[in-house]
Amino acid sequence: MQDAHEAPTPPAALPLDGEGGGGRGRPKKNGVSRLMRLERRTAYLLLLPTFLVLAVIAAYPFGQVVYSSLTDAKFASSQPTSFVGLDNYRTLFAMTIRRLPPKLDESGAPVLVDGKVRYESAVSVLPRSPRRYRQVFQFGLLGHRYVLGAVSADFVRAVWDTVVFTVVAVALETILGMIIALTLSSEFRGRGAMRAAMLVPWAVITVVSARIWEWMLQPTRAGLFNALGSYLGLSEGRTDFFGNPTLQLPSMIMMDVWKTTPFMALLLLAGLATIPAEYAEAAKVDGAGPLRRFFRITLPLLTPTLAVALIFRTLDSLRVFDIFQVVLGNQRYSMASFAQDMLISRRDMGLSSAASVTIFVIIFVFALLYVRSMKVDT
Amino acid sequence: MLVLAGAVAGAQTVVTVAAGAVGQELELTRAAAERYMKLHPDVTVNVLETPDLSDNRLGLYLQMFEAKSSDVDVFQIDVIWPGDLAEHFVDLYDYGARDVAKEHFPAIIENNTVDGRLIGIPWFTDAGLLYYRTDLLEKYGFSGPPTTWAELTDMAKTIQDGERAAGNPDFWGFVWQGNSYEGLTCDALEWVASYGGGSIVSPDGTITINNDKAIAAIDEAASWVGTISPNGVTSFGEEEARNMWQAGNAAFMRNWPYAYSLGNADDSVIKGKFDVNPLPAGPGGKPAATLGGWQLAVSKYSKNPAAAADVALFLASYDEQKIRAVEGSLNPTIMALYQDPDVLAAVPFFGSLYDVFTNAVARPSTATAPDYAAVSRAFYSAVHSVLTGQATAADAVAEIEADVEDITGFPTGQP
Repeated sequence: MQDAHEAPTPPAALPLDGEGGGGRGRPKKNGVSRLMRLERRTAYLLLLPTFLVLAVIAAYPFGQVVYSSLTDAKFASSQPTSFVGLDNYRTLFAMTIRRLPPKLDESGAPVLVDGKVRYESAVSVLPRSPRRYRQVFQFGLLGHRYVLGAVSADFVRAVWDTVVFTVVAVALETILGMIIALTLSSEFRGRGAMRAAMLVPWAVITVVSARIWEWMLQPTRAGLFNALGSYLGLSEGRTDFFGNPTLQLPSMIMMDVWKTTPFMALLLLAGLATIPAEYAEAAKVDGAGPLRRFFRITLPLLTPTLAVALIFRTLDSLRVFDIFQVVLGNQRYSMASFAQDMLISRRDMGLSSAASVTIFVIIFVFALLYVRSMKVDT
Repeated sequence: MLVLAGAVAGAQTVVTVAAGAVGQELELTRAAAERYMKLHPDVTVNVLETPDLSDNRLGLYLQMFEAKSSDVDVFQIDVIWPGDLAEHFVDLYDYGARDVAKEHFPAIIENNTVDGRLIGIPWFTDAGLLYYRTDLLEKYGFSGPPTTWAELTDMAKTIQDGERAAGNPDFWGFVWQGNSYEGLTCDALEWVASYGGGSIVSPDGTITINNDKAIAAIDEAASWVGTISPNGVTSFGEEEARNMWQAGNAAFMRNWPYAYSLGNADDSVIKGKFDVNPLPAGPGGKPAATLGGWQLAVSKYSKNPAAAADVALFLASYDEQKIRAVEGSLNPTIMALYQDPDVLAAVPFFGSLYDVFTNAVARPSTATAPDYAAVSRAFYSAVHSVLTGQATAADAVAEIEADVEDITGFPTGQP
């Protein structure tokens, strides 16, 4: 109440990047005081052990992975390995687009089935040497049919699937998390219990929750969703969520949203708690409606929290492994489960390492983009 | 008191066995470990549970080998692994296996021998079988189990339609292993071989999968999905198929022998209502069963290889294999047990289907070693894409041929 005179400051003018400085002041523009310098040196000294630990547990293994990505090492084998340069990366990224010729009958006319032209199979068109290309997908363009081929078709698909998974899942989690956070930040009876209950999905170990969902999504009416679907007359109760290629990604997204929305809500709730209620009250007095108050005051003030939450979730989703591995196994891969499969079923440590390095680079690029675009203070 | 004495003297040897947990396997192995410890109070035998799907189990093992870990002393290994994993195991001939090896099926001993070293003692063998509901066959007027896939399809359809009309909408004709994993390689190899389409790669190293009979076989299997087999069969492993079957919701099942004693357990709704037979044949072909089975191997990184080998040989001994056969319907690898009256009383089909077990089709693990896992993966992924309707069988076998050519460099040909 005593700070009420500060409240009417227009939100747009609020110093957003000053949000982290709760207690500690930032250096003055003209030079740094002696005390400050001393403090800074102490800070580095205190950080030194952390850097050392990081070097041992992060930099060293990472260097190891980068090195083995340049070799043809075989997993769990004493076979001698040799240096192959960027060969593994070429295997991962080699792609080509070829036009599919239509199938011709004896007279040289295209074969039609139900009025549609039949095309030669991709296997016969894609190059076989020096490396074999497999079909990723086919597409039509300007009356011709093309096939995108890749040496590691599974990897190209895994990258695409993981990015789609991440974008959709994180968007849904953010929206739902925001709604939950806003609800829980208002005063009502049983709020404490709600907050605790909300966290249950987040607290369950992912492998366990993946199994639970596997049971609930069983392709027979022994599964909850199929039982409900058939009880409500929506389906025959035989929907195969994990075997049907069009339902696989939506099922994964649903599982991830269920599991991590609480995390999003929790972070946003913490962010909401730092916004003084007086701002909203003052805006209300000035006649701003709830939507206007949300978009003009709450959301801008919440941006730093939101950015951190988004970074966390995006980076987490990009390296998703457990739910894909538990539920889809070898049927469909995320980037990380592809790397694991190359290691285990192909025992190809070089290729698997190259895939891991690629995942790291993709995640790194995403992180940079976020930090830049959302102006998160470093 | 004994344990205390051992601890004081520091003489307690610990042997850890990584064992399967499909069906009753884990309980059987734990009981066997107890018996061993009673005979050898100075040894503690731990039984470690490993994943159900063979591929996942291999992943776990490989991580231990890469780390040269001594955490596990005895590994339960699949019949297709000796060629790939030989370097991580001791030669059991050095630990007294010479005499007992003669009692086992020679073909399995040969499979487990790499460069003259016996790297695994056979524990139990396996072959694919057709399980069928005798009560339902009789109810719908069939005189016996199907001998061709076409007959099976017809019978399954009739029984399924009838049972659904009679009030069980969850009833299906035929359940099997359709998930994208090693188990699908076993099932699909049976279809292809029973059509006379060969076994992916011939023993002399020719890639034979790209042929009309193989295409017809895979096409027929794909036509089952959603008609006589649930859509979800494309994500079934052994246990998913067994659960549906044992709940009384399927007329036929393809599975290994272990499902027999579980189906006849007291709490099973199909107790006494089913029997087993060789799998059906394709047009003009012969029935085929894929050879499976598990061995016990001793890790080279074990701290007590002698004690570990002793445990392995004990677990694979005549008496122990007999208990596993009687209680768990797990096929012995010791030939004499197929004439043991107690075994035949508990599992009558062991006697009558002896030929199925001894003439089973081997997966091409020897011909393609050490790349069998990659070959199998190429095979089951391509077959799976046909089952889920993403590719035609003709394209799939061309894919497999090209993949296997890439992996092995073998020539292509007809079976």
